[in-house]
Amino acid sequence: MPVPFIMPKFDMDQEKATIISWSKKEGDLVTFEESVLTVETEKVAIDVPSPASGILAGILFKDGEEVPVTKVIAYILKEGETLADLPKMDLPKPPSKPEAAPVSQPVAVPQAISVSATPIAIRMAKEEGVDLSKVQASGVRITREDVERFIADKKKVGRVTVAATPAARRVARENGVALEAVSGSGPRGRVQSTDVLAAAKPRVTPLSTAQVNGRESEIIPLTNIRRTIAERMQKSFNESPHIALTVEVDMTEAENARKRFNVQAEKLKQPRITVTALMIKVVAWALIRNPYINASFNGNSISLWKDVNIGVATAAPQGLVVPVLKGADHLGVNEINIRLVELAERARENRLKLEDVQGGTFTISNLGMFGIRQFRAVINPPESAILAVGSVVRTPIVVDEQDRVEVRPMMSLTISADHRVIDGIVAARFLSDLVIGLESPSMLLY
Amino acid sequence: MPEITYLEAIRQALWQEMKRDERVFLLGEDIGRYGGAFGLTHGMLDEFGEERVLETPISEATIVATAIGAALLGMRPVAELMFMDFVLLSLDQLANQAAKMHFMFGGRATVPMVVRMPGGSGSGAASQHSQSLESVLMQFPGLIVINPSTPYDAKGLMLSAIRNPNPVCFVEHKVLYKMKGEVPEGDYTIPIGVAEIKRPGRDITVVANNVMVIKALNVAEKLSKEGIEVEVVDPRTMLPLDTETILQSVARTGRLLVVHEACQTGGWAGEVIASVVGSPIFDYIDAPVRRLGGKDIPIPYNRILEKAAVPQEADIEQEIRASVEGRI
Amino acid sequence: MSKDKGKGSEKDIGSHKLFDKRVKQLKMSDDSLIGLYRTMCTVRHFEYMADKLYAAGKVHGTMHLSAGQEAVAAGISLAVQPDDYLINHHRGHGHFIAKGADINLMMAEFLGKDAGYNHGRGGSMHIADFQSNNLGANGIVGGGIPQAVGVGLALKMQKRKEICVCIFGDGAANEGVFHEAMNMVALWKLPVLYICENNKYGMSMDVDRAVAKLPIAQRADAYGIPWACVDGNDVVEVYDAMKTAVEHIRSGKGPYFVEAITYRYFGHSKSDRNLYRPKEEIEDWKQNRDPIMRFTKHLLQSEIIDEGQAQEINAQAEQVIIKAVEFAEASPEPDVSTLMEYVYA
Repeated sequence: MPVPFIMPKFDMDQEKATIISWSKKEGDLVTFEESVLTVETEKVAIDVPSPASGILAGILFKDGEEVPVTKVIAYILKEGETLADLPKMDLPKPPSKPEAAPVSQPVAVPQAISVSATPIAIRMAKEEGVDLSKVQASGVRITREDVERFIADKKKVGRVTVAATPAARRVARENGVALEAVSGSGPRGRVQSTDVLAAAKPRVTPLSTAQVNGRESEIIPLTNIRRTIAERMQKSFNESPHIALTVEVDMTEAENARKRFNVQAEKLKQPRITVTALMIKVVAWALIRNPYINASFNGNSISLWKDVNIGVATAAPQGLVVPVLKGADHLGVNEINIRLVELAERARENRLKLEDVQGGTFTISNLGMFGIRQFRAVINPPESAILAVGSVVRTPIVVDEQDRVEVRPMMSLTISADHRVIDGIVAARFLSDLVIGLESPSMLLY
Repeated sequence: MPEITYLEAIRQALWQEMKRDERVFLLGEDIGRYGGAFGLTHGMLDEFGEERVLETPISEATIVATAIGAALLGMRPVAELMFMDFVLLSLDQLANQAAKMHFMFGGRATVPMVVRMPGGSGSGAASQHSQSLESVLMQFPGLIVINPSTPYDAKGLMLSAIRNPNPVCFVEHKVLYKMKGEVPEGDYTIPIGVAEIKRPGRDITVVANNVMVIKALNVAEKLSKEGIEVEVVDPRTMLPLDTETILQSVARTGRLLVVHEACQTGGWAGEVIASVVGSPIFDYIDAPVRRLGGKDIPIPYNRILEKAAVPQEADIEQEIRASVEGRI
Repeated sequence: MSKDKGKGSEKDIGSHKLFDKRVKQLKMSDDSLIGLYRTMCTVRHFEYMADKLYAAGKVHGTMHLSAGQEAVAAGISLAVQPDDYLINHHRGHGHFIAKGADINLMMAEFLGKDAGYNHGRGGSMHIADFQSNNLGANGIVGGGIPQAVGVGLALKMQKRKEICVCIFGDGAANEGVFHEAMNMVALWKLPVLYICENNKYGMSMDVDRAVAKLPIAQRADAYGIPWACVDGNDVVEVYDAMKTAVEHIRSGKGPYFVEAITYRYFGHSKSDRNLYRPKEEIEDWKQNRDPIMRFTKHLLQSEIIDEGQAQEINAQAEQVIIKAVEFAEASPEPDVSTLMEYVYA
């Protein structure tokens, strides 16, 4: 029996995935767990491994198509099997003629895959440019009707439309908004004119006072990731009451520690330790001391997570991604740094695996490298807090009780916390632990 | 301005017009001493005499035909059909004869007549005395079909109807007869074929006729407190229908609900909706257009069943809410 | 006139002496008799021309021809005044011609031309001329019967001397409105002359098979309406009955009912293949009872006209029809841009 290749479900609430590209084509030999295609879920792009070794056949969904999870997307043929053996084709065959399909041959080499079809079906497929191997036979062999149905279905698939009201379509037309990029507020997600107007606003707002003639914008349809970010951030901001607290940290000692690490890293040809890596180490330590910061709100209860999995907000070409460093509390700074660099690289190349972005319990967002001194971040649900890390700026500060002023490398840390889980005082304690950890790093780094 | 009932407003119009124009006369069953089944012509026999308040045998077809014949000779008959349901007995005369004469005779005949007919459910009159047949009458070009919802409209439209050179079906509603409203004592007319926006609103256009206008206005008042602003459009004349006012309203609100008591299948809501979606206003529609008609059943006798057979305020409210979902 | 003549049975044409006597009694002038002859000839030519035009493919719709029934139309017209009202049935060409309609305009309407009486909107079945109080023919069998009540009512209300003549066929007498109207017209004593033109067939339905009790006119008894049943192919007898009826009505005594027994030569309409009646029957009526033939014989015998004059009148009548066709054919079709006109006044 050919092995059905299903669209795997990667995530609890995942319903579908979009095929970005097949890296193998029909007839290619694939091995078990070899990456065969890349799909995009609402969170990440993922390579999908083959469920078996054999020959890839009967691909049912093309690049760009959205597929519900657990749906069969292709088959893996074992040696000796042909497409005629596919489940949907195993309708009654002439029992006495095991080789009833004369065209079918055992699959020995990829090129040898052939399809059982009537001559007119073959001719029609040729004329219409239909790949017969994609056509499902309703009987023993592919007939003219099967090819016609295939062509008709293909046309149907091509007519994917956005559910939108006529007014929404008009407003979209008038404002040059791509309807695909607008999320609908109407019944069953139908896009209404107000949705389009809202979507068109950001473009219009900066020009609102002076209408600039002929000014045009490029319309970028929402990717799944962008849409997910939008929805999650909106949900987070709407649902969890954010409180924000800021502290200033003297990074003198942390910088010194980083320098020492980097001397060593250079020797070992390892990447330079980043402030973020240092931060993760300290944050992991502080999270152990402040379990309510490493928690999730469940409506009726609060989960205090045993693992400390720290997500790092990372800019990637496709948008914001948050790769997660699992078990950060068990890792040394070097290891954190190495993994972080690796994750960042994968994020930039859109190669993050699902497990790379799953299971976060806390997130750090660092915009210091851009000179941002201080900012507030939106909590990444179901987490309860996020730390916004500003830039390190040499600042004159009072350093002792004699009011002596010194210039020190100062950095601001702002925590956004979900007040449903975290009281101000809890957040304050966490911040003060971070200050301790960063101002006296030796106690946790060595 | 004095407050009188819908019924009194119609009587006042008839009374004043009979005083003003001696060509006007009434004919119908039991309209004399009895004063009409609903008492609308009460007192008119004494005032105008038997020659102008003609009590007829129970002969609906010939009542209407008599009006036609008299109208052809320049009279201004106002016939009463005791119940709108009985218009079906006279439909040949209305639809095949009156409606077509001006056209069929190349514009050389005019038939200035009014046929009054109380329709609608709500009085426990059951299946043969409760119908709303305005959609049926709208199928006969040449007829004018008027359907007032307020005492003010009733009087003004009746005066227009009598003075109009065409055959007019004046559809009254039994339940509205007792409704009071301000009505000027003097002579005024309301133009035929002109809808009225009974209540302006930005969120949804509700087109309704006769008693449904009143229900829609009540719902609009209620929803207004929640910030849902309903525009209630009363066509007043069903034929010819003022689609322009409706189109303009929908262009403003982007949403449309049509409510009528007439059976939904083949009801005029479909006509309104088709006019809207088939026009350039299509591009202003921001939700599926909806209709709420009477159930496709004969009107039942039982009070509860009778209520359930035609749209009630709760139904209208539900439809409006469904239409504005996501907008408000 | 008499009530016992019943159906159009075999009937002696009668001697010219009897004819002379009746003409004298009725004070019919020679001119009026010649007028009747001319009218009947004109109707006959109109109907045969209509049939010819139809065969030539020049007529768009259907038509109902009254050839064979000319005496009824002519007899009525002589008995009434030109400004009396006429409500007619679908087989109405003859009555309109007899009432003095403009034959050019009739023919133009028949051919659907804009110059026609109805601007091409009505056709054969709906010719009307409101200026001459011709309120039109009706396509609905019996449709005009109750309208005559209204016309009569208005005449009474307006205290006018005119009467309303309402002509319908034997088939229409079985419509429900017949009863409603007879009752009301009698109840209110309205000036209406109801004429049932019994041509023996309602489309294909023999009157013997459609009417429970003959003559139809006796139904008037039920409403207290005086009535008569006459030989509709005898123009003088028709005139006689109509004259009596009109006098009764004008004297304010209320309605009157006359049934005229006659026979149509053509089928009911153009789709008729005459399967329901024997050819011999048609031939018998044509050969032995034709109203024009009978009347011509009397006129000749009584020396009111001679053969040459008769032929001349007949030829003149034919010329009128030929000219009308020329007029109609030269008339323009209605402009499509006027399609929506006349729906509302």
